[in-house]
Amino acid sequence: MDHALTLPRETPRHRTDVALGLVLFIGSWSMAFATLFLSFLILRQRQPAWPPEGVVLPSLGLAAAGTAVLLASSVVLAGAVRRLRAGAPGFAARWALGLALGLAFAALQTWLWSDVWSAGGRPDSGMYEGLFYMLTWFHAAHVACGLLALLWIQGAAAAGRIGPQRSAPAAGVATFWHFVDAVWLVLFLGFFLF
Amino acid sequence: MSGDQIHPVPTGFLRRHVFSTDHKVIARQFMWVGFLGLFLGGVMAMMIRWQLAHPGEPFPLLGMLFWPSSGGAIPPDAYNTLFTMHGTIMIFVGLTPLLIGAWGNFCIPLMIGARDMIFPTLNMLSFWTLFLGVGVAVYSLFVPLGAAEGGWTAYPTLSSNIGTPGDGETLWAISIFLIGASSIMGGINYITTIVRLRAPGMTWGRLPLTVWGLFFTSVLNVLFLPVIGSAMILMVLDRVFGTSFYIPATMAQGGGGDPILYQHLFWIFGHPEVYILILPAWGIVGDLLSFFSRKPAFGYRVTVGALAAVTILSAVVYGHHMFTTGLTAMLGESFMLLTFIISVPGEILFFNWLHTLWRGDLRLTSAMLFSMGVIFVFGLGGLTGIYLATISTDIYLHDTYFVVGHFHLTMAASSLFGAFAGCYFWYPKLYGRMLDERLGKLHFWATFLPLTFVFCAMFFSGYGGMPRRYFDHTDNPYTNELQWINELTSTAAFILGAAQLLFVVNVLKTIRSGAKAPQNPWEVGTLEWTAASPPPHHNFDTIPVVLTGPHEFSNPAIRGGKDWIYQTEPLSG
Repeated sequence: MDHALTLPRETPRHRTDVALGLVLFIGSWSMAFATLFLSFLILRQRQPAWPPEGVVLPSLGLAAAGTAVLLASSVVLAGAVRRLRAGAPGFAARWALGLALGLAFAALQTWLWSDVWSAGGRPDSGMYEGLFYMLTWFHAAHVACGLLALLWIQGAAAAGRIGPQRSAPAAGVATFWHFVDAVWLVLFLGFFLF
Repeated sequence: MSGDQIHPVPTGFLRRHVFSTDHKVIARQFMWVGFLGLFLGGVMAMMIRWQLAHPGEPFPLLGMLFWPSSGGAIPPDAYNTLFTMHGTIMIFVGLTPLLIGAWGNFCIPLMIGARDMIFPTLNMLSFWTLFLGVGVAVYSLFVPLGAAEGGWTAYPTLSSNIGTPGDGETLWAISIFLIGASSIMGGINYITTIVRLRAPGMTWGRLPLTVWGLFFTSVLNVLFLPVIGSAMILMVLDRVFGTSFYIPATMAQGGGGDPILYQHLFWIFGHPEVYILILPAWGIVGDLLSFFSRKPAFGYRVTVGALAAVTILSAVVYGHHMFTTGLTAMLGESFMLLTFIISVPGEILFFNWLHTLWRGDLRLTSAMLFSMGVIFVFGLGGLTGIYLATISTDIYLHDTYFVVGHFHLTMAASSLFGAFAGCYFWYPKLYGRMLDERLGKLHFWATFLPLTFVFCAMFFSGYGGMPRRYFDHTDNPYTNELQWINELTSTAAFILGAAQLLFVVNVLKTIRSGAKAPQNPWEVGTLEWTAASPPPHHNFDTIPVVLTGPHEFSNPAIRGGKDWIYQTEPLSG
């Protein structure tokens, strides 16, 4: 898909090509998350009590703050893409804000981990801790990829390789970010809140 | 967009032959990895058969090299590794790269009239991710504490640290993850290419069946490879970070997990996986039977519908692998019923194939023989599948050689024959040289006869009660009675292994002094044969305009003494 940048000019046809590829990719990767989430639900069902007695619960406040920050970043990035397509100014600044909010989520997530870790919660402490690390690690790996992609678009925009005539890469990365965001929402509701 | 642009031929060895984005070069890369996989997996099969027929005796030639401490005899842990890696390598390094990687990459753009795949860079990444996965799998054979020993299905707790302490099992899981990621990249690329890059006039109803088979396989790849990827993540966490997702409560330090959970995840992927392997072979067979019977494929639309039905149903039958795990009666019976239902579209395909052959002007080329071989061996495997789909008989036959015979005939031998049929058919287009037809036909018979014997003999030993994966059947008085079947089976298996040398000789001979392939040696009309052999970098000078279906043979409207036309020619011409 990255050959898009070397092409002379983006056509609606090319945008559709990229969009279809992205839909398939996200559909596919949803299956990966769905599998892990299904496993979580089944294993949770197997435990005598949930959360198990004596377990150190991760801070709900930190997780909620992370959710808010992540949702905000998605809203900002969606606005940035809309402006880019419309040819309105302010794309780079908005994209940078979205990127900063994404980094803030990563910081909150690190805080959450160190909280649990310093309270003695290790992946092998028990099923609760194991599932906590499994779900957040896998999600965080996607956040890391998403942040790299956001950074790449920021650089491409600064170099003038992204513009109203060529918006598919930015739109694609934003869509991936929304997906990572949506997965977190499911995780927040399913693991932290209920 | 990449469909109508001519990209310049890259200069420089690396960009042209190693990190190439040309689908034809990538197809060749996949093909050689596939043949390497078949060779490695085949040698392992010979070792397994040696141990089964002659337990405790030194393996000829290679034995002293690998197991000097036991005097060349195969030790029990090495035997476990052999059957584990035989299955894994045959499926993920042999058949998948050949059928989907090589023929998928080669055929899709050429058959739909495109210049390349829609995402060429992703295509290259797909190959190199596979290559990395294969590297990890091979490396896993040589690590401290030993290679993977949990079987290709890697059920916990066999595959846990308790069952298999070696790092090899962890690396095995990582390599499956990587190879799965490669298949997903390929699947996304294939689907998008087929949907978006078909030449003008190449309607869905004019797609060759090969492309249809690859399309449905790609759908399954995209949907179900992520499931095994996630299952592997859980396994790696269990093995490396001490979680207990798959460890039952009695064995776990913390809260107890569930080993059956793994079986569900594995077979949610694993059952579609057997269709991932067989659908491309079925597609190839559907086309080749028509090409070499000089008749239109009988019931083209029904065949496509049956392939679609198999694709959908393949997702909802996986429970028949787990009848002995204590599924509830209702769940077990539902899976049994669904499994019977999936045989209906399978039978439709069979009747369409047989009707395509019926009263055809058969040209028994090597490719045609292998295609007919697919019908035969899949028929045998399919009929014996009924006993395994039925709960009451499956409970008796579960984990016996009956199962081994069944799945080798269906998913292994049929896919292998499909891959060979494709190889004999497209090799001239791929490399511009003809494989030797006489050696090819000899290769078919020398493969087909012992192969059918090997896996049919397993039905007898399995029905007699011989369990699979046991190291030595002679130290049990009951299975010792069946040892003569093992010895016969192994003899046939050695002939089967040796027969593959005919193929090696054929390829070497063709590389050295093969006859130059004409543009259209088989006289068929699909678009790849309108290009030169081998096709130029951009495939077609101008994007073809398609006017007819892929199987217009012996149509009275065709003039000029031919019995075929190109898809770019009008029927009345």
